[in-house]
Amino acid sequence: MMAEKKKTTTKKTDAKKEAPAKQVAKKQASPAATQQKPSIGVFICHCGTNIAGSMDITAVQEYAKTIPNVGYVDNYKYMCSMPGQAVINKAIKDNKLTGVVVAACSPRLHEPTFRTATKEGGLNPFRFEMANIREQNSWVHMHDQDGATEKAKDAIRIAVAKAALLQDLFPKAVPVEHAAMVVGAGVAGMQAALDLANAGIKTYLVESMPTIGGRMSQLDKTFPTLDCSQCILTPKMVDVGRASNIELMTYSEVDSVEGYIGNFDVTIRKKARGVLSMADAETKGIVGGGCNGCGDCEAPCPVIKPNEFEVGMKPRKAIYICHPQVVPLLYTIDWDSCIKCGLCVTACGEKKAIELEAKDEFVTVKVGTAILATGFDIFPIEKKEEWGYKRFENVITSLEFERLICASGPTSGHLVRPSDGETPKKVGFILCAGSRDNTGIGKPYCSRFCCMYSLKHAHQIIEKIPGCLPIIFYMDIRSFGKMYEEFYYRIQDEGARFIRGRVANILEDPKTKNLHVYADDTLLNRPIDMEVDLVVLAAAVQPKEDTNRTRKLFGVSCSMDGWLLEAHPKLNPCGTTTAGVFLAGVCQGPKDIPDTVASAEGAASAASIPIHMGEVELEPYFAMCIEERCAGCGMCVSLCPYSALALVEKDGRTVMEVTEAKCKGCGTCGGFCPGGAIWMNHFATPQIVAQIDAFLLGGEQ
Amino acid sequence: MSAPPEFPIPKREPGEWQPKILGILCNWCSYAGADLAGGGRIQYPPDVRVIRVMCTGRIDALFVLKAFADGADGVLVSGCHFGDCHYLAGNFKGAKRMFMVKRLMKSIGLDDRRFRMTFVSASEGAKWGAVITDVVKTINELGPSPIKEFNK
Amino acid sequence: MSESKFKFAFYLGCIAPNRYPGCESASIKAMKKLGVELVPLKGASCCPAPGAFGSIDLNVFYAMAARNLVLAEQMKMDIALLCNGCYKSIWEVNHKLKHNKDLRDGVNEVLKEIDMEYKGTINVYHTAELLYNDKFIGVEKVRASVTNPLTGARIAVHYGCHLTKPHKDREFEKDVMLNTEHPVWMEELVAALGATPVEYRNKMQCCGAGGGVRGYDIVHALDIANEKLINLKEVGVDALTDICPFCQLQFDRGQIEIKEKFGVSYDLPVLHYAELLGLAQGMSPQDLGLDLHGISCESFLQKVL
Repeated sequence: MMAEKKKTTTKKTDAKKEAPAKQVAKKQASPAATQQKPSIGVFICHCGTNIAGSMDITAVQEYAKTIPNVGYVDNYKYMCSMPGQAVINKAIKDNKLTGVVVAACSPRLHEPTFRTATKEGGLNPFRFEMANIREQNSWVHMHDQDGATEKAKDAIRIAVAKAALLQDLFPKAVPVEHAAMVVGAGVAGMQAALDLANAGIKTYLVESMPTIGGRMSQLDKTFPTLDCSQCILTPKMVDVGRASNIELMTYSEVDSVEGYIGNFDVTIRKKARGVLSMADAETKGIVGGGCNGCGDCEAPCPVIKPNEFEVGMKPRKAIYICHPQVVPLLYTIDWDSCIKCGLCVTACGEKKAIELEAKDEFVTVKVGTAILATGFDIFPIEKKEEWGYKRFENVITSLEFERLICASGPTSGHLVRPSDGETPKKVGFILCAGSRDNTGIGKPYCSRFCCMYSLKHAHQIIEKIPGCLPIIFYMDIRSFGKMYEEFYYRIQDEGARFIRGRVANILEDPKTKNLHVYADDTLLNRPIDMEVDLVVLAAAVQPKEDTNRTRKLFGVSCSMDGWLLEAHPKLNPCGTTTAGVFLAGVCQGPKDIPDTVASAEGAASAASIPIHMGEVELEPYFAMCIEERCAGCGMCVSLCPYSALALVEKDGRTVMEVTEAKCKGCGTCGGFCPGGAIWMNHFATPQIVAQIDAFLLGGEQ
Repeated sequence: MSAPPEFPIPKREPGEWQPKILGILCNWCSYAGADLAGGGRIQYPPDVRVIRVMCTGRIDALFVLKAFADGADGVLVSGCHFGDCHYLAGNFKGAKRMFMVKRLMKSIGLDDRRFRMTFVSASEGAKWGAVITDVVKTINELGPSPIKEFNK
Repeated sequence: MSESKFKFAFYLGCIAPNRYPGCESASIKAMKKLGVELVPLKGASCCPAPGAFGSIDLNVFYAMAARNLVLAEQMKMDIALLCNGCYKSIWEVNHKLKHNKDLRDGVNEVLKEIDMEYKGTINVYHTAELLYNDKFIGVEKVRASVTNPLTGARIAVHYGCHLTKPHKDREFEKDVMLNTEHPVWMEELVAALGATPVEYRNKMQCCGAGGGVRGYDIVHALDIANEKLINLKEVGVDALTDICPFCQLQFDRGQIEIKEKFGVSYDLPVLHYAELLGLAQGMSPQDLGLDLHGISCESFLQKVL
């Protein structure tokens, strides 16, 4: 069996110099380049001392000269700079090079830069290969000069072997659908949708809650300006509702995603609301009908449930709106609670807006790019049992505090103790509750905005309840933003008390239901037992529950901390590694409102570029069938995750054919084909085998 | 300068055996993770030479076997975690093939510990360092590949 | 009831056999009724006391604990013990030696001098664990074995520290026992005896004895125990139960010392869970040595007998 396998390999090696005839005919632009003897230029970068400091560049350069097929060798301090690229340009022309190898940083960083330089030198840009001697060599072998130098020599030899076999490739341009999608309609999603709509792009804004607004509508005031949150948000919500370019789909979720950048086919599940909008009613022939938000249905409904918007602190009916300013102004039925008594239908009367037998609907739309703005949830802080959340009535989370202190909240803005409804006189705020936690129970990261909102809460208490003392138990006060430190001074001056120390334990006085907060006062160097009336936990935040499902549909990864992974934290914080999908807001990492809006604008700008250009270039890494070798077995067809392969009849034979637009170049089919009949552009089997052979069989011995 | 590494740095005398380990990494996760290790200056032994492919699904079982036939002392394949493949499920298919290679190695008498498949994501730079250190340690313990003897 | 499915080498420690021998007799008799045979572990020494020895010389600490473990290995039996402090020495050292070759080699160097070798072949359990874990006994079997239910008795539980803490260095088959902030599994065992378990403020606080504190600074140690007694008085209980003879000593003799030094009396009977279990299974107070307690158990016995 082994012998047979070897035979196939040698067969591939024989054919390595020439790509199958059909492909060559399809792709040739400069016939001369492919067929002549390869002459590769090797350019070694010092990257200042980043590379030169860990290895002997001279030795590497001298070695490079001895590698077969190398026609020119040079080195430069910074190859990616303008003069560095000029070196490549000149060398190609002077030495009639057929390929370029740059030994420098990672191709994930500068492959596009050097491909452009190669192109400007007159070669096809895909005749370029990079040897990574920085991220995967000089930076990780700083104590082993000899080892690093040997590894660099091998890396260049491997790259040259591949470069000698590279072919001219031509990126395919695909048209981009003039539409975009934004998933999530909190302030990030809303801002991104508004920007896209104002740029003339039809935008589908998909939100899983019955109303838009997200977390910001649950807040009372915002730091440091103390603007009323709903007041500054409502105009945006109304704009979103009115914008002609925004198709708002609330109470809807993304069900499946197919396609690729420029051509995403997204299927959306419109959850059954049970209530018709005025537009829906018209299509159904009900004249002057549909929900106008009058609320007549609410009163007779016999079912009472906790209102999630009010964090369970206020009741709602089975047919409900989250709060009076919802957009769209439509009631929703909670099917888990509805007993289908029909009293609401009677109350609605002539408007006929209620449909008790409504079902989920599915609709598929085509978009060019998509933005994920799925937001956050509060960490289930009852897991940190030492603070007694859900065991002690008077321990609440910061979100519950927001609703209590909010004038439109369950107590009309009066802060009361859950146990007896009394106004507290001393309120303890526990910062970093569940954040910066390495025990494995909480989150290791900092949740970023808790310090600031706790300062804001302290201010609100001082303002609203004269004589009430806020005590903040903190590790650090992270007041990082514009006017934030000044806000911190202000709260200190207003009389809030600050105790630097972690809270080890909270115990309840069984009679008064007051809480004893046991902490370390690290500034006064003594432990304290502080009795307070109410404890507010500044709980950690985590990605919203459904995010994991949604991100997989779009092919977006998670970072180690669970938030969605950006393409590059500094150079590309709004993009992802999936072309055409962008991130906005807290789903990428905790942010305050200014940063959320900024990231949304960034994402919208990035998402609009392919749409405005009208077409986008796809990397030409797709598969091709070598028809002479294809046996038509069809086993590759089921392997393709994008259904890009199919069996067709050609000249009386059954062979495989690739739909190039669908192929993403993963190579799963190529790695499998037992007959070696699949050619993966730029990662072809002879090219990879040449790299393997160059490493193991070539080199100094 | 980062802290000195916790693995021994060998004296590279000519004639002394240094392990030759081939690494085949997927572009989106493991290669990115390895780059992140570089950015974080995580130190590890230099004995692994890396070839980049777009997805571990690209890896033909023959690549691994060719490497061993050429005299590699070890082969490391690294891709995305299951469920996170940039191309949806390429890593599952690649992994299936790699399991087959392991079985084959056992039946031809080549120590299958010379071949390893790992899953390192783009954010796991430190893990990459630990993986390479462990792979090099294992190959050092196993010694030179017996196929080299046959080739002589 | 059933034949002894399980056999353990019974490690007694120091305080139980010397001060509260009822714990020993109750454990042996009660466990036998529940299908567990506790066989004497001959030649055992002090565990050694983790606070006293562990703070002074870790090498001595590991070697002495390892010796006790080897005695059980030679009997080819797992160890059962009834003291939190002994649990820390014997279970934790067993765990550490199993996972750390260097430590093991060092300890075996010392044990060589007495012709012993630690091999890591046995496991260590607390009797409270055996009672709670269905794999061995379980709450239902305990309930079924009760002939004299302690009806009407309000009993508070003192969990102590070393059984479940530090959390990251502990492993139990029943996850519920890993809850260090607010466990309720001992309350379940108390309820199984027919008594009413009572919660009180800060029940997880240390008794104040361990870590060498009782030996080194008795006043501070008593201050800590006093805090707990104040909290217990607040809710009004008939007895306090514990699963550690050292905690028991601290609360029992401690109340006498607190009366002397602080002038406060509580007259709160303190019983090890084994003693409660013995009572509930019909053992007499004489057999349980309850007359040897510092604080008289009369008031409690009047309620339950």
